[in-house]
Amino acid sequence: MLKRIQGFMKSIWPEFHNHKQNVHLDSFYTFTDYWYLWTMSIFILAVTALSPLCIQTFIHHQLIQKSANTEAILSAERLTSNAKRSIAFFMKERMDALIFTVNEMGYTKLTDNDKLAEILKNLKLGFGGLSDLSVIDEDGSMVSYAGQFKLEGKNYKCQPWFLHSLKKKYFISEVFTGYRDVPHIIIAVKSIKPDKSIFILRATLDTERLMKTLNSYKTNDYTDIFLINHNGALQTPSTNYGDVFKQTNLEISTYPTNTKVNMKSFQGIPVILGHSFISTDMVETPFILMVQKKKSGRMKTWVELYRKINWAMGISIVLIIIVISFASTFMINKLYHLEMAKAETMMQMEQSQQLASIGQLAAGVAHEINNPLAVINQTAGYLKDLYSFKDEPRNDVEIVDNIDSILDAVDRCGTITQQLLGFVRQFDIKIKKIRLQKIVSDVLSFHKKEAEYRGINVTVSIPDTIPDMETDSGKLQQILVNLINNAFQAVDEGCCLDIIGSQIDTKTIQLVIEDTGCGIPEENLKKIHEPFFSTKHDRMGTGLGLSITYGLVKKLGGNISVQSTEGVGTCFTITLPIKIQEGKLA
Amino acid sequence: MKQIDILIIDDEKKFAVMLAKRIELRGCTSRVCYDGRSALQWIKENRDPLDLILLDLQLPDLYGTKVLTEIKKIDPSIPVVILTGHGTEQDRKECEKLGAYMFMHKPPQIDEIITIIKQIKEQGAN
Repeated sequence: MLKRIQGFMKSIWPEFHNHKQNVHLDSFYTFTDYWYLWTMSIFILAVTALSPLCIQTFIHHQLIQKSANTEAILSAERLTSNAKRSIAFFMKERMDALIFTVNEMGYTKLTDNDKLAEILKNLKLGFGGLSDLSVIDEDGSMVSYAGQFKLEGKNYKCQPWFLHSLKKKYFISEVFTGYRDVPHIIIAVKSIKPDKSIFILRATLDTERLMKTLNSYKTNDYTDIFLINHNGALQTPSTNYGDVFKQTNLEISTYPTNTKVNMKSFQGIPVILGHSFISTDMVETPFILMVQKKKSGRMKTWVELYRKINWAMGISIVLIIIVISFASTFMINKLYHLEMAKAETMMQMEQSQQLASIGQLAAGVAHEINNPLAVINQTAGYLKDLYSFKDEPRNDVEIVDNIDSILDAVDRCGTITQQLLGFVRQFDIKIKKIRLQKIVSDVLSFHKKEAEYRGINVTVSIPDTIPDMETDSGKLQQILVNLINNAFQAVDEGCCLDIIGSQIDTKTIQLVIEDTGCGIPEENLKKIHEPFFSTKHDRMGTGLGLSITYGLVKKLGGNISVQSTEGVGTCFTITLPIKIQEGKLA
Repeated sequence: MKQIDILIIDDEKKFAVMLAKRIELRGCTSRVCYDGRSALQWIKENRDPLDLILLDLQLPDLYGTKVLTEIKKIDPSIPVVILTGHGTEQDRKECEKLGAYMFMHKPPQIDEIITIIKQIKEQGAN
C-alpha cells in the first residue's frame, strides 16, 4: 500500500525536484526553471479544462434557481387562487342563503323571534358558520333577534356596517367586535317591507369557521394564509404578522381581478407573497386573501439537486487536476530526461572535442620533437660508440654513464611522444573477433611476476557464457593495460585486484576492474579523464593514460565510469558493445 | 661474404651522418642521401644491389611514399624500412601497401636497426 502511494506520488511529483547540481553539466541545460514550466503547464491546462465546467455549473445553478422560483410562484399562485375561490364560495353560499331566506319568508315572518330562531337553526344545519340572525329597521333599531347574545333592543344607526348596508343591496362587513365584543363578520341583505320601507336581515358569521377553511390550505409550516382588509389590518390571525386587527405593512398596490404573486423579503428571509381580492358576483368583500410562503420550504428538492451538482463538480475538478498533474509531470519528466541526456551528450562531445584538439596539438608537438630527439639520440649514441667501439676502448665510466643518462632521457621523451601519437592514432580501428578471457589473461600475464612479488591477490571472474566480441583487440588491450597498470600502481602489498566480466544484455558486456588501493580523492575524480592530469609526478606519469583509455572506450562504442573512495579503493566499470557497429563510429 | 650495404635517406643531416657512422661501427657499409631525387639517382647508378634502405617520409623534394614507389620500380627486392618522426596511421597503411619492410618511429634505437639488419641478413642467407 505504502509503495503504491509512493509510486503515485512519484508519478505526480516531477523528478526535477530531486535534481542534483553538477557544475560540469549546468552550462549545457537549456531549461532551468522546471518549477515554472511545471506549474504553468498545470495552471494553463487546469484553467482550460475547468473553465467550461465552472461556467456550465454556474449556468446550471442559474437554471435551477430560475426553475425553483417559477415553480414556487406557480404553486403559490395555485394555492392563493384555490383558497380565494374557497373563501369566496364560503361568503357567497351564506349570502345566497340569506337572500333566499328574505325572499322566502318576507318581513312578517322574519320579525317573529321564534320563526327567526327556527330559520337560524335550519341555516346552521344546512350551512353552518352562522352565529345569529337579526332583522333591523331602517332607523337602526333591532326588530327581531335569534342567537346566543343578548342584543335585543340595540340600535345600530351609528354603526358603520349599518350605514353601508343601507347604501347597498348586499353587504359583507370587515371583522369587528361590535356590541358583543367578539370578532365577527356581518352579512346583510337589504329588503323592502310590505309598506315599502326598508329593513335589513343581518347574519353574523362565525370567524372560527372561516379560519378553519383557511387553515385547511395550510399544508405546512412554511405557509401562512390569512385575510386582511383594504387598509392592511389583519382579519384572521397570521403566524407571521400577529393576531386579528393588528395593522400590517403589506402593500397591496392595485385591485387585481386575478391572483397576483410576488417575490418579497420578510424579516430578511425570501418569501413568496400571493394576494387576491375576495369578491362574489353579487357583492364585493373587504377582504384580501394573503398567502405568504417561505421560499426555503419549496427549495428542499432543489437544494438536493444543488448538492449533487456541486459534488459532481468537485469530483470532476479533483479528477481533472489529478489527470492534468499526471500529464504535466509525465511531460516535464520526459523533457527533464531529454535535457539531462542532451547535457550529458554535449558534455561528452565537448570532452571528446577537447581531447581531439589536444590530441592534434600533442601530435604536432610530438612530430616536431621527434626529429631533434633522433639527432640527440644518434649523437649521444655515437659518442657512446666512440668510447666503446674504437680500437682502444676508453673505458671512462663517468662519461659512458652520463651518455646513458642522455639516452635514457631521450627514451623517456620518445615514450611520451609515442603516447601522444597514440592519442591521435586511437581514431582508427581494426575489428577482429576476440575472446574477452584471453585478452584479460594476456594483459595480466605481463603483471604475473609483479603480482607474485608484491603479494597482490588478482582474481579474474569472467563466465564462459560471455560470447566472443567483435571489436578492436589492440584498443581493448590498451584499455586493459592502462587500467590494470593504474590499479597495480594504486595498490599496496597484500591488496586485492578483481576483474569481473558479465553480460548485461544481448548486445552489451560489462567489465569491472576493482582494486582495494589508495583510491582517488573526490576533487580529482572529475579530472582523471583530462589529458595531462597526473598525480604520479614522482613515478613519471604522463597524465595521458586515462584520457587515452577514455577516448578508446568511447571509440569502441562503450562507456566508462569510476567510483572511488579515498583509502578504500577504486572501481572502474566499462561497458562495451559485443559487436562494434562501424556506422556509429565517428 | 659481402658486407651489408645500407642507404640512409634523411634530410636531417646530423642524424643521417651519426646513424651512418654508428651502423658502420657495427660492421656495415652505409651511404647517406639528403633528398629523394639524389637517392633515386644513386640507386639507379649503383651496380651493387643495396641490402637495406632507411627512408624518412618528410624529404625536401619528394614525399617518402613517392620515393618508396620509385625505389620499388627500380628494384622491388630491396627492403625499405620507413623511419619517420611524422608518420600517421594513414602513412603506415600506405607504406605497407607499397611494400615497405617495416615502419619505425624516430628516435630509433640502434639495437632495433641492428636486429632488422640481422633479420635481413638471415633471410638473404636463406
